[in-house]
Amino acid sequence: MRINSKTLSTIVGSLLMFPSLIFAQSAIRGTVSDAATGNPLVSASVTLIGTNVTTLTNAEGEFKLTTRNANEKLEITFVGYVPQTVDATNNIAVRLVPDNSRLNEVIVSGLATNIKRSNSANAVASVSSKDLIGTAEQSSVDGALYGKFAGANISSNSGAPGGGITIKLRGITSLVGNSQPLFIVDGVIYDNSSITNGTNFITKAAAQGSTVLQDNPSNRIADLDPNDIDRIEILKGASAAAIYGSKAAAGVVIITTKRGKSGKPKIELSQSIGSQFQLRKLGQRQWDAAKVDSAYGATGLAIYNANNGRIYNYEDELYGNHGLMVDSRLSVSGGNDNTTYYFGATRDDNEGIVKGTGYLKKSFRLSLTQKVTKNLDVSLTSNYVESQADRGLFGNDNTGASMGVGFISTPSWVNLHADAQGNYPNAPFGSSNFLQTRDLITNRELINRTTSGGTATWNVFRSSKNSMKVIANGGIDYYTLNTIGLFPQELQFEKDGLGTNGASIYGTTITRNSNYSLFLVEEFRPNERMSFRTQAGVTQERVNINNVISTATQLIGTQTNVNQAGALQPYQFRTKQLDRGFFVQEEFNYRDIFIATAGLRGDKSSRNGNSDKLYYYPKLSGALNIAEFPSFKSDVISQLKLRAAYGQSGNFAPFGATYTALGPTVFNGTTGSLILTTRGNSNLKPEKQVEFETGIDAGFFHNRISLELTYYRKRVEDLLLPLQVPASSGFTLFWKNAAAIQNKGVEIGLTTIPVSTKDLKWTSRINFWKNKAVVTKLDAPAYNTGGFGASLGTYRIQKGKSPTQLVGVAGPNDKGKIDPESGLALFGDAEPDFQMSFMENLTYKNWEFSALLHWKQGGENINLTTLLTDLSKTSADFDKKTLDPTGKLSNGDYRLSTPGASTFIQNAGYVRIREIGLSYHLPKVWFNDIADVKVGFSGRNLFNWFKYNSYDPEQSNFGSGAISSNVEVTPFPSAKSYNFNLTVIF
Amino acid sequence: MKFTTIKNILVSLVIPVLFLLSSCKIEPVPDPNNPSLDHLSTNPTKGEIQNLVTGTESGMRTDMSFYWHDLGALGRDYYHTSSSDPRWTTDLVGKAGAVLDNNTFYTTRPYNAAYLVVKNANILLSGLTNTKTSITDQERKVGIAYANTVKAYELLLVWNLQYDNGIRVDVANPDALGPFLSRADALKRIIGLMDSAYTDLNANAATAFPFKTTLYGNTAGEFAKFNRALAARMEVYNSEWSSALTDLENSFFDLNGDLYKGAYYNYSTAGGDLLNPLYIPANSSGEVNIAQTSFVTDAESPADKRLNKVSKRTTPYKTDDITGIYDLFLYKSNIDPLPIIRNEELLLIYAEAKIQLGGISNFMDATIALNKIRVASGLLPYSGPITQSALITEMLKQRRYSLYGEGHRWIDMRRYNLLNTLPNDRPGDHVWPQFPRPAGEPQ
Repeated sequence: MRINSKTLSTIVGSLLMFPSLIFAQSAIRGTVSDAATGNPLVSASVTLIGTNVTTLTNAEGEFKLTTRNANEKLEITFVGYVPQTVDATNNIAVRLVPDNSRLNEVIVSGLATNIKRSNSANAVASVSSKDLIGTAEQSSVDGALYGKFAGANISSNSGAPGGGITIKLRGITSLVGNSQPLFIVDGVIYDNSSITNGTNFITKAAAQGSTVLQDNPSNRIADLDPNDIDRIEILKGASAAAIYGSKAAAGVVIITTKRGKSGKPKIELSQSIGSQFQLRKLGQRQWDAAKVDSAYGATGLAIYNANNGRIYNYEDELYGNHGLMVDSRLSVSGGNDNTTYYFGATRDDNEGIVKGTGYLKKSFRLSLTQKVTKNLDVSLTSNYVESQADRGLFGNDNTGASMGVGFISTPSWVNLHADAQGNYPNAPFGSSNFLQTRDLITNRELINRTTSGGTATWNVFRSSKNSMKVIANGGIDYYTLNTIGLFPQELQFEKDGLGTNGASIYGTTITRNSNYSLFLVEEFRPNERMSFRTQAGVTQERVNINNVISTATQLIGTQTNVNQAGALQPYQFRTKQLDRGFFVQEEFNYRDIFIATAGLRGDKSSRNGNSDKLYYYPKLSGALNIAEFPSFKSDVISQLKLRAAYGQSGNFAPFGATYTALGPTVFNGTTGSLILTTRGNSNLKPEKQVEFETGIDAGFFHNRISLELTYYRKRVEDLLLPLQVPASSGFTLFWKNAAAIQNKGVEIGLTTIPVSTKDLKWTSRINFWKNKAVVTKLDAPAYNTGGFGASLGTYRIQKGKSPTQLVGVAGPNDKGKIDPESGLALFGDAEPDFQMSFMENLTYKNWEFSALLHWKQGGENINLTTLLTDLSKTSADFDKKTLDPTGKLSNGDYRLSTPGASTFIQNAGYVRIREIGLSYHLPKVWFNDIADVKVGFSGRNLFNWFKYNSYDPEQSNFGSGAISSNVEVTPFPSAKSYNFNLTVIF
Repeated sequence: MKFTTIKNILVSLVIPVLFLLSSCKIEPVPDPNNPSLDHLSTNPTKGEIQNLVTGTESGMRTDMSFYWHDLGALGRDYYHTSSSDPRWTTDLVGKAGAVLDNNTFYTTRPYNAAYLVVKNANILLSGLTNTKTSITDQERKVGIAYANTVKAYELLLVWNLQYDNGIRVDVANPDALGPFLSRADALKRIIGLMDSAYTDLNANAATAFPFKTTLYGNTAGEFAKFNRALAARMEVYNSEWSSALTDLENSFFDLNGDLYKGAYYNYSTAGGDLLNPLYIPANSSGEVNIAQTSFVTDAESPADKRLNKVSKRTTPYKTDDITGIYDLFLYKSNIDPLPIIRNEELLLIYAEAKIQLGGISNFMDATIALNKIRVASGLLPYSGPITQSALITEMLKQRRYSLYGEGHRWIDMRRYNLLNTLPNDRPGDHVWPQFPRPAGEPQ
């Protein structure tokens, strides 16, 4: 009978899924609060150690839980706080201590699982909302990341408002393929394309053999509002990114947006107002009649004399706009135990440093989480963004139409201003009047973007030993990009037979990407010491991009419709892709002492030569927490972990590389098909990355000092190249898997809390990173790429050398640098020697001060702005005599007369205070404790130290190509900015 | 028990479902932007066959400017000059110290362009062979003959440039390219290709092509005349004089006909189409086609109407120590067609073959042909000695003036070992006998 009733109760208990009820035990209650402020902590996790019994604290920080027997222990964890283990007694008040070591934050471990950082075998970087936007105003996510974690090389392609940023994680991962990380926002793959706007038609920048477009489009991660972001995790190499398989060779950036917390509504209003201005002014050359005569001859002298010594400060006129930056922001969040919500709205209006340029973004986000039943949670988020970027016309060109080129070819004594009737004179020494160009052209990008996603988690069952859940996730990323390029016919470079009598370039891109996944996660704890976690699932991703550009020329009057034109040239490029894959992973944890993970991702994709072939990406990792050994006793060392991880990831061939196709031709009033000169290869394999990473994490003095040390070695194999083939085949190039690169590097992170008293707290985080790359295999002759050829400096891909080496034609003094094989001299490397960043945060009572200092040591750029300025004889330092060792020649003459490319390749190292901020919380009593009001001042790039002879060593003419950055040609100059901020939280 | 059951159900259902999903077949995505080589060479529609023909004929014009400018400079007809590239007058004209580079545009671009057309013609050939569209066997045969004629012509252009280097003729399979054949063998193979095409064209003379061509006629019989005209040129290059005469008989050769009758490259101002690349307005600067002055000074008489192929500049144009007194002025607009082969050349081939065969009646036949050209050009009939060598000199002179700027002078002088007689504008200039084999090919 007794047995029967016990069996019965077991069955009943099982059915009801209240396994703990079968043990007659007591319920306990408690509260969790912040040890420093005493505020209750909402949604802190309370777990009965050795079981799956977990609960969360409510809006008042309270929890209740039922224990099985006496002497049990509770573990209380909350992101950003040191976890505590306490005896499970009733009415316990737990006070958690804020943790700056971040060792206890939760980071991604699989496609469907997370892990405590202290147990992770990977050096996954993470950036919190506070790190991201806590110091200075940010208008784009990628720009806000630089300097905040180790292992990235970030450069902006243009200072134009609206973004355009290249991120490279842990060195070079591809030669011609995608080199930008995969962005994932709340589980939805977030498209980060840079889509051409067709202005190459005007600039002809890519006309002479170069196929890399130089119209500096913004990249689409710019659409994401940094204010909505809760945290960012960065998987820098394959050892961690293997979970994303064939898309992850360039790394993965996982972004989690803010969610509501149960409790009364939290309303946050913030307003900032500021200004941006040119980061560095170069000045203008001082002229006299003799200099004018020598530079421009009689024609110049006549203009100079006619102008009666009048001088215009064109640098100020073009780049001197103090752009107003107004950022308004509202967020409302809250909820109850079953439903939480978050709403964020931003209006970010930035005027550029060039009149007529600017960026206006409006973003709305709504996130909801709902407990549908006891075992089913659903979370949904949706984001709508519309933005307008007016970007001017800068960078390289072959027509003289770019404002950058127009500016440098104008000496200060030439009058380019419009007369009273608004007619602009022609520039006498250039092909465009840049003031006219600035005032009359439009180069605009308009975005309408909706990104929506959701996750459903079904807790199938949970017992003391087992738990299982099913997680379904999916989302759609949809946007329309509209580009408008208007070049009216009265422009100097359009009229009088010089151009096409006006041009209207109208582009539309519709992008619709989606991804889905379905996962099963099972946890098994055979006893209190060990646990197994298994996950298995499938994924599917779809990409569909349709880019159409209509270029209308021979415009009718001032009309801009593409049909009000004498000639219309259309262009269309579509990208279609379907991927499917699976992922399985097993994690093993023995008492948090030893943690091992093994996983496998399999991916097939229509982008591969064989679309139905599965490519496998394994991963394997282990971590050993020495400080968790029962025998380990130390007052000094609070954490000591050894870790090692191995993984593989892939990268697709550029879209189209698998196709051999015929292009369109027009002839005899009809159309024809003519074979294209690049032969596709239907046997292409994806590029493959194999990474091994190992390191030590250590914490001292209760993690007041914590150190992360990582060494990695990653090989990228089967790199794709279009190789030269015998032209008698009809083709000149043929895609092949033909090269390999090895990157080795070190990353060090040191987080300390030097001072921590009741009133004063100082936290400091120092990052150091260094990468070295070498081409280990090249099944083709060495070749030059990027830049503008060997005479002006170029990259050279050569076996045994760095893939980012910068070489050029040697001058007489460069004999020692000549590589005998190519006859070219080695002048530098775009890769920095090392980088360091210092993030310092000081709080004193209601004051908070933070600063981010970034030091990039070494790394060279190809600076062609100086060359073009010298050629136009307008360089500010043209007449100085600081360069010529013999002291005879002026700097301009010296640079122009120095043979070889040595003068163009320059050290691009710098030290800059990237961000600085000071804020003050007004005493709450002033507002009857209703509101928390914060006022502050912040600045970006306010202090810079560099020798580089141009506007900014961080810029680049070519877009986000794999090997093409660090080349500067009359860019939109970088800006620095400051802001005054007011934040009110109710 | 119950947990295990649920778990078992899930594991036994969900996991297989997951793997089933992941093993779902992914169909290849066809190129969304362009027609594929595979499709066009295996089963093109009639419309697509036409696209291949139009593409081929359009492609025949691609980079021909480099071919003409190359031969213009080497044959001292005219020099193309450009302020943005000095190599037109250094490397190409054999300026002291300069060499022809094997990886520079003047070597690679005409070479690549010709083989690109050969490739397109091979795709057409393969498409015609394999298509399941409704075309008759005759149509298939003459269509293939058309493709082979175009191929042979393009290979001849490469042969002209590469000469003693030899060239590849079998290039249909990019993974197994045929060998480089010697100069003589290559020419034989090219002529063989022409002859086999002619056999099929002639046997189905009444058959219309399953497509429209702009080259010459739209029936096999008409097109065969174009095929034979080109074959006659090739036989002359091969010194097979009787064969050349036979070919002429079956070509559009017409002793009394319009000298400009023939096959042409066509141009138009339509969007996306090409403009005549040799047209440059008279008295331009920057980009100029400078006529070599001896074209005017060597003329037999100022009355020669062919001197209107150049135009005297208002001010001489001097660049790189070459002085241009005359502009090349063959074409009066940017849409004038450029000849592939025309009756005037056929008359000269006739004369040359007759002279070479020798004998007084042949010499008289040759003189008749030469006089047709002389009189049409405003000159008096030939009054020089009727000897083989004198007639060869006369024939070459008429070829120089009649085919000026059309890419013949250099080839003719090379055939008769007279390259060293070509004029040099600067001391140290040098006439190249051929172009180097392009980089990318086995050296």
